[in-house]
Amino acid sequence: MALKTERMVLNMGPQHPSTHGVLRLELEIEGELVTKVTPHIGYLHRCFEKHCEAMMYNQVVPYTDRMDYLASMYNNWGYALAVEKLCGIQVPERVEYIRVIMGELQRIASHAVAVGTFGLDIGAWTPFLYLFRDRERILTLFEMTCGARLLYNYIWVGGLSHDIHPDFVRMTREFLESFKPTVTEVNNLLSYNKIFIERTANIGVLPLDTAINYGCTGPTLRGSGLAYDLRRDDTYSIYNKFDFNVITGQGLQGTLGDTWDRYYVRVQEMLESVKIIEQALDQLPAEGDVQSAIPKRIKPPKGHVYTRVENPRGELGYFIISDGNTNPFRVKVRPPSFVHLEIMDDLTRGHLISDIMAILGSIDIVLGEVDR
Amino acid sequence: MRQYLRNTWDGIYTAFVGMKITFKHLFTRAVTIQYPEVKVPMVDRARNRLYVNIEDCIGCEQCSKACPVSCITIDTVKSTPTDPVGTTSNGKKKALWVTQFDIDIAKCCFCQLCVFPCPTECIKMTSVYEYSEFERESLIYKFASLSEAESAEKKANYEKFEAEKAAAKAAAAAKPADQNKTE
Repeated sequence: MALKTERMVLNMGPQHPSTHGVLRLELEIEGELVTKVTPHIGYLHRCFEKHCEAMMYNQVVPYTDRMDYLASMYNNWGYALAVEKLCGIQVPERVEYIRVIMGELQRIASHAVAVGTFGLDIGAWTPFLYLFRDRERILTLFEMTCGARLLYNYIWVGGLSHDIHPDFVRMTREFLESFKPTVTEVNNLLSYNKIFIERTANIGVLPLDTAINYGCTGPTLRGSGLAYDLRRDDTYSIYNKFDFNVITGQGLQGTLGDTWDRYYVRVQEMLESVKIIEQALDQLPAEGDVQSAIPKRIKPPKGHVYTRVENPRGELGYFIISDGNTNPFRVKVRPPSFVHLEIMDDLTRGHLISDIMAILGSIDIVLGEVDR
Repeated sequence: MRQYLRNTWDGIYTAFVGMKITFKHLFTRAVTIQYPEVKVPMVDRARNRLYVNIEDCIGCEQCSKACPVSCITIDTVKSTPTDPVGTTSNGKKKALWVTQFDIDIAKCCFCQLCVFPCPTECIKMTSVYEYSEFERESLIYKFASLSEAESAEKKANYEKFEAEKAAAKAAAAAKPADQNKTE
């Protein structure tokens, strides 16, 4: 006689330490195997989009900081690009270079958290500490430049809030030199560790067609093998001046598009960012006013605009409608984390409960951005 | 069987590779600091608690308009010619008595947007970051230098001045009318 089994509903979160914020996952399990995952979001909802309608264009920038709090520079940048396109503002070259340097430093910092906490979810504590030590140095560079460590409000519409600190270039170079060995260490500690590979390879395989159908972007899509990077394929700012590779997953330790691939894409992207920053520091124009293009009063003409940037997590899009006033009529954000959270159900089906955290860590969501 | 042994060996070997790295780090300098005893020095541009030099404030309310979270409340009273407010440190003449300048630091989001438009550079961000309080009300900082009684006096002064001005105006307007009548 067959054993009678029953499906059980289990709640994971919102206080679970590995949910990277406040996310509640409703799991339907059959024994140890997961049959369905329903993410429940909204615990961090702060009405970002509605708030923006009551703000002037430059007042929205501090709010964008608080969406993806691990990549605030990029949020500022995406918003600034959108409003600049709407108003037809051309920013000076020096500003563009500083923005690229800050954006790529932010990418390293964000990936350091992603990789570190991913190891932490699996049970590896040490690489997390080494990566956070180096992330602190990036935050110190940011603090030196704009005074804040996490919520920068640095990239403004038409310019920057401060020029870089006189010591910035030297300290950034020192940091980059010391950061390269860290990546090697992390590879030896974590990426090639057999126990880590056993936990991540062949887990949560995301086939390329599923990834495209769900609208995945960034390292999640590149982990499935498609070389699609907005910095290269829909160039914004001055990314066409730099030489860098678009990293894709190769299926080195198992199936193409598994958790390990997505993780390893992030590790390698940190080194690509180092390459970009080194080139940008070499070409950085020595002189120039970073505030010369900032308008006194931002009042764009009627119309709408959509711009997208390659956030550390994927495509971050801003859709802004202007009715000719000093406040935006509508600001809509397309956050990569929100889109990536949707694939959780597909990825986790048939896996063990302990693998869910590995999969969730590998798509690297930030709940502040999911809920906005 | 062979694969099983190989996996086991790989597991042990790669764990030792990791151990070697952590062992090396045992002899590097610690990066952590013991916070309350040792503090990280703040950078020059640090963005922490707001401070207002009320002597220089001209009451233009540009900071409160720039604030995205409306944490600055300013109330002003116009000064009268007989009782001038004085000048700021850079020689600008002040026309308004600032009777209220409250910053609710609990609401503040430390974006520094209020600092940039200030014409006299009297509002600025300091490097003070340890200011926790037991009462939420204590986090509303009142920067206005005038006491309540003084504020009331200035207000009364201005109202009196306005009333006198209005009376004078009315008298001036009434005079020609009277002259017209007599002619």
